[in-house]
Amino acid sequence: MKNDTLIVKLKTIIEPYIQDEDAFKNLSEETDFVKDLKINSANLVDIILDIEDEFDIRLENEDMEKMLDVKSAMAIVNTKLNA
Amino acid sequence: MVGNDIVDISEAKRTSNWQRPRFLEKLFTNNEQGIIKNAPNPFLKVWQLWSMKEAAYKLYTQLYPSKFYNPKGFACFMKEDFGIVKFKMFQCYVTTQITSEYIISEARLNQEWMTSKVIKFENKNPQKQSKTIRKALIETGIDRFDISTEQVKILSSKYGIPSLQIPSKIVPLSITHHGYYGAFAIS
Repeated sequence: MKNDTLIVKLKTIIEPYIQDEDAFKNLSEETDFVKDLKINSANLVDIILDIEDEFDIRLENEDMEKMLDVKSAMAIVNTKLNA
Repeated sequence: MVGNDIVDISEAKRTSNWQRPRFLEKLFTNNEQGIIKNAPNPFLKVWQLWSMKEAAYKLYTQLYPSKFYNPKGFACFMKEDFGIVKFKMFQCYVTTQITSEYIISEARLNQEWMTSKVIKFENKNPQKQSKTIRKALIETGIDRFDISTEQVKILSSKYGIPSLQIPSKIVPLSITHHGYYGAFAIS
């Protein structure tokens, strides 16, 4: 999937959980879910489950380990889609 | 070294659905899923175990500076009046306190009493909450180490791990917030 298409889809998934609007407006690949968007760590699992549903993939524990920012989320989704 | 984690019960009810498909399997070991299933109040057990894992993770990352997301890897074992959390070769003791408003867990390398100071916030603005908790933390630091405001500073490592800088040493600490509640513990 193209990066710009992917980032748009991810933004839609992430939006319900963000607690910092400004950081969300300026979202880039470098944006950190917890540090920048102030997403509650308890909601990271919801983002992971939403990603699984949206892209019809399953993420293993090893994939989840790195799911802390937009860049890693994009990389993991692309790897799974191309697998 | 200390790690702590607070769960605002009404916030957890509002913003998370522990009954959604695959939620429990993603976060909890088989043993923990059994504990949840058999608990008189599964909702409270979910969030108690979650706070134990988070507290243990914060303690772990003080010992081994790093950042990752692996709640399932932190396995909780319940004893009579405390918990043990294991992650690979690491092990710690966790005490939990449950009120009608919040659940708080504190992780230590040895068995100790809970020391976390709980704060109720007036609003949910993350910046304002951070300011409030830092102010309380500084005040506690001043009292505890008998120093002046200028002599104490809160540091944050590149992994976001906080500590308290006081004359001649750096003291590990843990900060947590969720919904309208926050807490801190100084090592």
